[in-house]
Amino acid sequence: MIFWEIAKRNIRIHMLRSTLAMLGIVIGVVAIASMGILGNSMVATVSESLKSVGDSVIVSPYSGGGGGMGSGGGGGGSSSASLKITDQNYQQIKRVVAPNVATPVYSTSDHMKIGVGSDDIVATMYALPSADVPDIMKLQAGDYNNGNSGCLVGSTFAKDHNLKVGSRISIGTDGSKGTLRVTGIIEERGMSFDISTDNALVVTPEWFENAYNRNKDYDEVVVKVKEGDTATIKTNIEKQLNKHKDNKIVSVTDSKATLSSIYSTFSTVTTFVTAIGGISMVVAGVSIFNIMMMSVNERIKEIGIMRSIGTQKKEVMSMFIYEAAIIGVIGSIIGGILSVLAGYAVSALMLGTTKYLLTTANALSVGEGVSFGIVICLLCGIYPAWQAANLNPIDALRHE
Amino acid sequence: MQPVIQFDDVVKIYPLKAGDVTALNHISFEVMRGEFISIMGPSGSGKSTLLNLMGCLDTPTFGEIFMSGIGVRAMNDMELTKLRRDRIGFIFQYFNLFPLLNVIENVNFPQMLKSGKDVNPDKAKEVLHAVQLEEQLYTHTPSELSGGQQQRVAVARALINDPDILLCDEPTGNLDSKTGASIMDLMTELNKKGATIICVTHDPTVAKYSDRTIRIVDGCIAS
Repeated sequence: MIFWEIAKRNIRIHMLRSTLAMLGIVIGVVAIASMGILGNSMVATVSESLKSVGDSVIVSPYSGGGGGMGSGGGGGGSSSASLKITDQNYQQIKRVVAPNVATPVYSTSDHMKIGVGSDDIVATMYALPSADVPDIMKLQAGDYNNGNSGCLVGSTFAKDHNLKVGSRISIGTDGSKGTLRVTGIIEERGMSFDISTDNALVVTPEWFENAYNRNKDYDEVVVKVKEGDTATIKTNIEKQLNKHKDNKIVSVTDSKATLSSIYSTFSTVTTFVTAIGGISMVVAGVSIFNIMMMSVNERIKEIGIMRSIGTQKKEVMSMFIYEAAIIGVIGSIIGGILSVLAGYAVSALMLGTTKYLLTTANALSVGEGVSFGIVICLLCGIYPAWQAANLNPIDALRHE
Repeated sequence: MQPVIQFDDVVKIYPLKAGDVTALNHISFEVMRGEFISIMGPSGSGKSTLLNLMGCLDTPTFGEIFMSGIGVRAMNDMELTKLRRDRIGFIFQYFNLFPLLNVIENVNFPQMLKSGKDVNPDKAKEVLHAVQLEEQLYTHTPSELSGGQQQRVAVARALINDPDILLCDEPTGNLDSKTGASIMDLMTELNKKGATIICVTHDPTVAKYSDRTIRIVDGCIAS
């Protein structure tokens, strides 16, 4: 088609101008798509870290706050040290969640030494029934059966302190609480709402009760939901234990709901950063609009000739729309390709991994960026094209 | 025999802030098929307005213009554009070729507007041959041609859709006298072959080539 050919040739003879306009679109697409890729990769990374906790309900003592995240991360010995879940409450929870398993958890943090002459360190310790341990965590080395003076250690903790199965750890200041032998190393679990084992020790309840003088007053109860859904179980526990509105006993956290809220927050952040990328696309659009207006103004006489020898308005319009479309399509495709590279670089730098780069979500982000670039170009070409088509042929012919 | 163009009591008024300007005042005339007519008159006499009306670039305020018997006053922009494409060939003083297209593409342009993809590839060569343009220039762009060559291409472009009339606006105004004469010889030859030619000009030499001259003064036909 002749108007397509004219549009191509006009871009070619104004190569620098067209390239600069294209560059704007390239930058816009890269900004939008790479921000999308970063956001998606962040969500994927967090999802990976949290995938093991999506089916948990965590019950912690009510501290007057709003729900809370359990006492797992901080461990005992904090300001909530006096707040515990009694054995009676635990038994109630156990009945409510059956046939799911409710695991009572002790937690604290204490001084410890690894080997002779090593530095004094402080780490978190959890104690939970040996029978429940395999349901909550997996081992990368050693054995679950840790006996009374055995312990499991988190993978990061083991790596940081060069621990192996058989290593010994002295607990308490100057080993006052005794020595534990490492019987297993726990697989990395990432972030967690129940118990975060990567930097912690897991001991038996018997040893813990003896060492810290505790007796069935738990810091939290973890319910791994295998039957039913977490929201219903959360409601059932609250109904049973928090019967009186003014005298609540426990705070119950539904990990699925919390995860959903986290994903929603990430999604908002992704949308926000993508919108910031969108600003550069708007700037690129203004640049396209500008060069299209220049193109129309430079070619008023040519438009007049075309119209006088029988070119319809829609044909004149198509010529300018083609021009905007060529700039938009080429710029957006180049931008799409570069955004994959930019997404790779940003993911590598900010997240330390690029394993989530080739995903459907990221492909969609690139697709969205490319489509947005093309649409912006077409939209910015419509008014100049319309103006060109509606020039009075007599005035246009007189134009110098 | 039906006239190719018929002006029937045509009035053209331009409404301006300072007051209405009557560019053409009750003009009536006919152009028969095969005629060669020149339109002359001083600057501001209404020649350009007359040319715009004959070329269907504008419509009269009062009166009616018939193109091969079809009234144009009530036509919309799309119909007028189609009429220009199919029935009128324009030849301008400054050639007005498309700088981005080569000779063949310039000549084919109106044919493409009319026929879309179904253009006759030999038609452009035929009309270029008729206007005596050397074949080796067919792939050149307008900027690579002389003024006379460009005007020949413009004539070929005007002829490509077999129009009812050729409207020429000072066709030799931008050419030296020798080249101008050769273009007018070409026009005469086309006229002899049956083309209807209307030539708006200041130049009495150009008017000499025509069968008759319409003189416009102050928007009225003087003779």
